[in-house]
Amino acid sequence: MALIKRNWTPDQADEWTKEDWITVVLSPLCYILLMIGTALSFLINLWGFLLLALGIILTYLMHWIIDPKLKVISNEYEKKQHEYLENLERKVRWEEIHG
Amino acid sequence: MIQFQFLDWFWVVLFLVVTVGLGVAFYRLGKRSESDFFLAGRGLPWWLPASSVYATHTATDTPIWVSGVVYKYGIAGLWYTFFAAWCAVSAFVSTRIFRRSLAYTQAEWNTQRFSGLGAEMLRGWISGWQVFMNMFILGWVGIAMGKVCNYLFGWDVWVGLVVFSSLCAIYVLAAGFWGVIMADFQQGIIAFLMILIVSIWGIIAAGGPSGIVNKLNAMGESWRINPFAFTGWFEGNFPVAWFITMMIIAIIGGFGMGTSIDWYVEAQRIQSAKSVRDSSYSIWWGTALVLTRNSIWAAAILGFYVLFPNITSQSQYEMGWFRLGFEFLPVGLVGFFFAAVIAIHISTVASHLNLGAMYFTRDLYLHYFRPKASEKELVWVGRIATLVLLLGSFFYGLMMEDITSWLIFALWLMAAGIWLPNILQVVWWRFNAWGYLSSWIANLGLSWLVVWILPHFEILPQLPDYQQFWLLMILGALIFIPITLLTKPDDMEHLVKYYVQARPIGWWGPVKREAEKLGLLVHVKLENQGGK
Repeated sequence: MALIKRNWTPDQADEWTKEDWITVVLSPLCYILLMIGTALSFLINLWGFLLLALGIILTYLMHWIIDPKLKVISNEYEKKQHEYLENLERKVRWEEIHG
Repeated sequence: MIQFQFLDWFWVVLFLVVTVGLGVAFYRLGKRSESDFFLAGRGLPWWLPASSVYATHTATDTPIWVSGVVYKYGIAGLWYTFFAAWCAVSAFVSTRIFRRSLAYTQAEWNTQRFSGLGAEMLRGWISGWQVFMNMFILGWVGIAMGKVCNYLFGWDVWVGLVVFSSLCAIYVLAAGFWGVIMADFQQGIIAFLMILIVSIWGIIAAGGPSGIVNKLNAMGESWRINPFAFTGWFEGNFPVAWFITMMIIAIIGGFGMGTSIDWYVEAQRIQSAKSVRDSSYSIWWGTALVLTRNSIWAAAILGFYVLFPNITSQSQYEMGWFRLGFEFLPVGLVGFFFAAVIAIHISTVASHLNLGAMYFTRDLYLHYFRPKASEKELVWVGRIATLVLLLGSFFYGLMMEDITSWLIFALWLMAAGIWLPNILQVVWWRFNAWGYLSSWIANLGLSWLVVWILPHFEILPQLPDYQQFWLLMILGALIFIPITLLTKPDDMEHLVKYYVQARPIGWWGPVKREAEKLGLLVHVKLENQGGK
């Protein structure tokens, strides 16, 4: 079993898994590194450049982890979207049938 | 006051013509349907909503309050701006969930998440609140523009408030969200380019990066370069406890919807994206640009600080970044800078005009007054609502004074007492409409009491912001949790339908089991996975 799953079935992709949680942890860390790194880089601070570079690397890693899952989710959901939109319009116009 | 030359006015007029013209050019697309007027037909690639996220949250008030906190706290002041980082988590959690609901607005989403009378009351409440709030924000950013024009040209504040917002309304009225998104893309590029130019110019004027650092050292102010320059664990104006609170608000808040006032704007961009994946990346990258912008501003404001280290008036040092541009840029470029200022102003105005109009049109007019309305009628109602929002914002704007104080209060008003409910509505099946509704109502009263009334009568001391947050959250929880548990759960059939469509994260076990029992979901066994 791979540490990071990259091949998903639609049903698997709909579940919340460790790839989501890894992304949730990496993402704010990327923001912190990019934010502080950029500010310090503009002051020609060595730590700034290092933090910025690390932020870019982690951003790429995050994308690498979560993107396959997002693609599958999107592709599968688009097949059902038309029906969901029709239901939404019926509901907003009080045309939804009950029972 | 600033003296403009012909070339300066040329840039300003050229920008106005191009940006209004570009927005109006999408008139035919905008008038096609309600979906086009408010969501650009739900077909946008990720980078268009992303640029709109960035442009919308780059307003004339933004450099004012960012300048304020960085001038006061140094680089560490960036943590004040880090509330935007809720998008780091939201992009991959609540954004996915919301996008799958397909709801036009947060108010509409509430009727998908909750059921019965409570859901309808929430829809009415949220949509009415958002119409008001968008008008409020329009006034808020408008008065910031009024201040800028007053500083530049000596114009009365109302002139800057009225003129540019009115010009912006031209293309919003014509093309709706198509106009907003396309103008935002252009305005975002201009704004980012000019932020870079002015900030670099300001840094150079202050002696360059090394000059700034050396001067800060000579002044005994080198702590301003330290992003972790706190005043103690609990003491002073910038304690670690505040920082931890901000991290929690920002990061944990990403699991919710509405934990930031910016969510309501982002929700529109989420639904305008052509896929779930595009919506995630639009939110993530739009906010990444926002945080990067703040960092660039921070470096420039440190330069402003070494140039003008003794400013004690908040209203003066809040204008720091604008002063760098208008006092140090050469002739000709000053006008381009002002054009960029107009860009950041009207991109925000455009977004909030269309958003407020959407809440009125979709959630109030269509749902409650005219369920049989045609697409053409809805587009026209959207236009009328846009115009009313514009006029209302002029009155609100003239009522406001200090930008930073109002902003912080708005954050607490929106975030503190309903921060936790905004998360619970996403993650906990049992949290119901009555609990959520009660949290909103309670927060309105509690926030005024805790922030103003009780301190005024010395019943409470004037608490630091972060303590206000925790107090309001706890007080609110004492109200909405009992109400949730003492009232009936939402209808299970309704919850199952929502769960199957949106697949929310968190504590949804009973609903998931019911969905599987009904054959609506396939039980998926994930080996060594953390799925719940």
